[in-house]
Amino acid sequence: MIKVLSYLKPYRIAVAIALFLTFTELAVELVQPLLMAKIIDNGILKSDLAIVMKWGVIMLGFSLISFAAGVINSFYSAHASQSFGFDVRMSLFEKVQSFSFANFNKFSAASLITRMTNDITQIQNTLFMSLRIMLRAPLLIIGGLVMAFVVNVKLALILSVVVPFLFIFLTWVMNKGGMLFKTVQEKLDSMNNVMRENLNGIRLIKTFNRRKYEVKRFTDANEELKVRTVKALRLMEVTMPILLFIMNISILGVLWFGNIQVNTGSVKVGEVVAIVNYATRITGAFSIFSFIIMAFSRARASSKRIVEVLDTAVDLSDHADADSSLLIKKGKIEFKNVTFQYPGTKTFALENISFIAHPGETVAILGATGSGKTSLFQLIPRLYDACSGEVSIDGMDVRQMKQENLRSQIGFVPQEALLFTGTVKENIAWGKEDASMDEIIDAAKNAQIYETINNLPNKLETKLGQKGVNLSGGQKQRLSIARAIVRKPKILLLDDSTSALDMRTEAKLLHALKAYTCTILIITQKISTAMEADKILLLENGRLLDEGNHESLLESSELYRQIFRSQLREEKINYA
Amino acid sequence: MLNELKRPFQYKRNSLLNMEKEEASTKKRPKSNNYKQTLKRIWQFLSFNKGLLLLVLFMVLLSSLLGLLGPFLVGMAIDEYIVKKSSDGFIPLLLGLAGIYVVYSLSIWFQNYWMIGIAQNTVYEMRTKLFQHLHKLPIAFFDKRQHGELMSRMTNDIENVSSTLNSSVIQVFSSLITLIGTISVMLWLSPLLTLLTLIIVPLMFFGMKWITKRTGELFKEQQKNLGELNGFIEETISGQRIIKTFSQERKVIAEFTEKAERLKGAGYWAQTYSGFIPKLMNFLNNFSFTIIAGIGGILALKGMISIGVIVIFAEYSRSFTRPLNDLANQFNTLLSAIAGAERVFEILDEEDEFLHENDLRELNDVRGDVEFRNVTFSYEEENQTVKNIDLHVFPGETAAFVGSTGAGKTTMINLLSRFYEVDSGCILIDGQDISDIKRESLRQHMGFVLQDSFLFQGTVIENIRYGRLSATEEEVVTAAKLANAHSFIMKLPHQYDSVLNQDGSGISQGQKQLLSIARAFLANPTILILDEATSSIDTVTELKIQAVLKELMKGRTCFVIAHRLNTVQNANRIFVLDKGRIVEEGTHDFLIKQEGVYFQLHSNAEASTNI
Repeated sequence: MIKVLSYLKPYRIAVAIALFLTFTELAVELVQPLLMAKIIDNGILKSDLAIVMKWGVIMLGFSLISFAAGVINSFYSAHASQSFGFDVRMSLFEKVQSFSFANFNKFSAASLITRMTNDITQIQNTLFMSLRIMLRAPLLIIGGLVMAFVVNVKLALILSVVVPFLFIFLTWVMNKGGMLFKTVQEKLDSMNNVMRENLNGIRLIKTFNRRKYEVKRFTDANEELKVRTVKALRLMEVTMPILLFIMNISILGVLWFGNIQVNTGSVKVGEVVAIVNYATRITGAFSIFSFIIMAFSRARASSKRIVEVLDTAVDLSDHADADSSLLIKKGKIEFKNVTFQYPGTKTFALENISFIAHPGETVAILGATGSGKTSLFQLIPRLYDACSGEVSIDGMDVRQMKQENLRSQIGFVPQEALLFTGTVKENIAWGKEDASMDEIIDAAKNAQIYETINNLPNKLETKLGQKGVNLSGGQKQRLSIARAIVRKPKILLLDDSTSALDMRTEAKLLHALKAYTCTILIITQKISTAMEADKILLLENGRLLDEGNHESLLESSELYRQIFRSQLREEKINYA
Repeated sequence: MLNELKRPFQYKRNSLLNMEKEEASTKKRPKSNNYKQTLKRIWQFLSFNKGLLLLVLFMVLLSSLLGLLGPFLVGMAIDEYIVKKSSDGFIPLLLGLAGIYVVYSLSIWFQNYWMIGIAQNTVYEMRTKLFQHLHKLPIAFFDKRQHGELMSRMTNDIENVSSTLNSSVIQVFSSLITLIGTISVMLWLSPLLTLLTLIIVPLMFFGMKWITKRTGELFKEQQKNLGELNGFIEETISGQRIIKTFSQERKVIAEFTEKAERLKGAGYWAQTYSGFIPKLMNFLNNFSFTIIAGIGGILALKGMISIGVIVIFAEYSRSFTRPLNDLANQFNTLLSAIAGAERVFEILDEEDEFLHENDLRELNDVRGDVEFRNVTFSYEEENQTVKNIDLHVFPGETAAFVGSTGAGKTTMINLLSRFYEVDSGCILIDGQDISDIKRESLRQHMGFVLQDSFLFQGTVIENIRYGRLSATEEEVVTAAKLANAHSFIMKLPHQYDSVLNQDGSGISQGQKQLLSIARAFLANPTILILDEATSSIDTVTELKIQAVLKELMKGRTCFVIAHRLNTVQNANRIFVLDKGRIVEEGTHDFLIKQEGVYFQLHSNAEASTNI
């Protein structure tokens, strides 16, 4: 909680003003019974109308001050709490952007989303409340007690006896509540997760007719959330009746004791009235307490969840001695005895891989499903670090480079073409922010998507739905290729990105790519694509089985021959 | 320092202006009517628990009465015993008061206890209803919406409703009761003072109106911005791989900043304005207190009322303004709940595709005869995606769709499975128009392997079993073996019980497809649809699967989409699509002889492998 609260620091002036204004309001409120006692004791009981009027006007003046303070307070509190929420949200988002994939696996996407919206809203609202109302309650209580002591020490003692017990009780409730609300937020995560999966997998769910099954899954998560919420809230709501009861009983105590004291003449009537009045105010303040306790418990649970993200050690970041002058100039890629395994798995995804791709070369990577092709790709832009060995570009270890410098020279086209909500143009320009219109059109043409774009209702300005759903698979692939080549990278990585293209389009595309002066690594299933490459790497079970060109591999590798045969027409195999 | 002092007053309010413009351009219902409608619908959800709600109401009534009785008796005690300095019968009075306080606390506890149950049940119902409804919406709905934005409705918007229901219903009840009770007692004690106290009511009314007119809109704006932010976060998390490899973190953060700033702006004004309400109430509260003290003092001097009455009145003026204050506060939370609920109802009002399904038939015992008659369809109105499609596939046959990307192949599948409805023409299965058949009943006879293989967060076995929920473990393993997935599954850390991350890291794209195929094997449908089912699988493995697929396809009507032509050449009918029309149709050999488009495509492929 403290760590999260430290985000308030830049707004300490606003907070101080807000608190000061709250104090002002409070002071007025506390003085009022005193004024009233004055009116009763000095004015009414002594039949002095002038005093009644005088103090009446003073009271009204105070009220106006308090009102003005309240309204101004509203501006400062909203400013502080909204800015605070904004800042926490920003640093949370920035933190998440710096996450490695291993970090991502620690939190579900749905949970990260809840943390960035719901949890922050929770804290933000609590903060706003505390700047405006909440602090009033404890202050009212303390102030009320102090005033009561000023009026009459003996009577005030009766009131103050119960207060420490109440605070202990409230602390307990708050701790317990904090834990309960943490589970509530976790259940919210799970529900959110089911929701997200259903949105992402809606086609599958519909095709398999799993509506009822999914509704059941959701209902379970929802039920769980409900049960936890009810449990937490019910605990919170016990506090108010208990507080009210204790305070009311202590008022009776004041009356009883006051009666005795008034009879002996040691206490004035006005004093009893004033103290009863203070006690009622304190009671009123306590009744907001269950609300405060709840808000605080929730805020505490939420800030824990936020800090959990903020405190996650990013296990893949720029090295301290990363040299920002290191830039990719030529695009020579070299793997030296690279071994890699995904965090949390037992088997090697890549074992002892060594190869060189010279600048301007096209290298094809072939291998069975799960042989490590994509894993190999991911080491180049340093999405993961190799466990041993070295990946270097232009002779520089990628770990010595700034990630941004490294990646800005790489064009990556993933297997699953992922696009963002926005226009076609925005999606292409995503690869290069300052891309000119000509560059965008050029990239689109070379990616063989320009004609398709021109047939769209609004051409380049056509809006795409989430993940580009209103395009066909092949169109999405070509758009994501355009996005990669618009930045004219030194290294182009194509991860089976032409699988949905027909042969003709693919051939045109590969031809167009030749115009780019870059090293191309291309993962493919197609021998026809591989044949065009300067070099072919053949992977099997994470090892580099063989390398060479088409002819030499046909000669030397049984696996390659096997792949080759599998792509001939069937009858040919039969007669082979 | 000076800047920091000025900052809070420098927020722009253009967001609200924009909204007004936006609203003016779209036809709108009167706002108050809108609120009423929304409240009515929230009430419909609440009224599931009518019985309990009545009990709560009773408890609120009880606690309110006792809450009024308490101060009244305290005032009496002061008048009768403290001022008059007597003690006779004082103790019994105090004991009686103690008793009242016990019941008072109990009644508060009960009302809260039940109300939480009711509120959370209501929220639960709302969520379930929203979820159920989402599943009845057509695919087109999901194609247009941002996932994270929809998620925000389920969490952030319903959360608003939830927190309001938890406290507001009781508050509104009790405030109203207390208000009525207080006014009656005050009238009875001194009509004159009561009238003086009531002076503030019109002031209150105008103040409230001024404030809520603004907050209502601002809350809506806030929820909308929050939803958009949620959508953006979801997309960036889904697209991490791209963001990282393109090193576009800064760009994404800049976009996020802009969205978060918009949210901050709306939130700032919503909070500021809603913060006015308690302050206004407080002021009016103090104002009436002063009036009572001042004028009460004069009256007491003239002997018209007793000091006790002033004390009681001072107390009552608080009890009078406090419920009004509470009501006003509740009004704010209520507005934020309405803003949230409206966004939920917006989705519930989307026309669901089950709406007219009651008159539709079930489809039993399908032979698998599929016919397209003059089918035309477009996703967007201007350009037609498929035009005048006529085709007939007989039971047990395999049909293949071939053509360049964007030719309309997947669209054919979307129409056949009724993800989208044809614009004109019709599709028949066993001679029955599918638009007369319930969607779920139709899909029950179909098995799909889709282009994007989607896996759920869960174990491997759960993911395969999704094809048929009742499948035994052996059946799952058999299916996995047939799909050539068994060997890689056995290499996973916990084999079939390995948990797959939702975003599929840990296994490759090709392996995902293998799992999808295994899933389809389990489903055992009459009509099998393979949309690029093996596109990410290496050709050697594919060959092995082809053999099994051939077995699987026997006796079923199959539709195959593939770019690798050798996977389709055994089809009984090959339909060559170009720009949404069928340009050629026939068997592989027939089409080769025709030397048309198919021949072209084929020889391209041939040329590349035959050197």
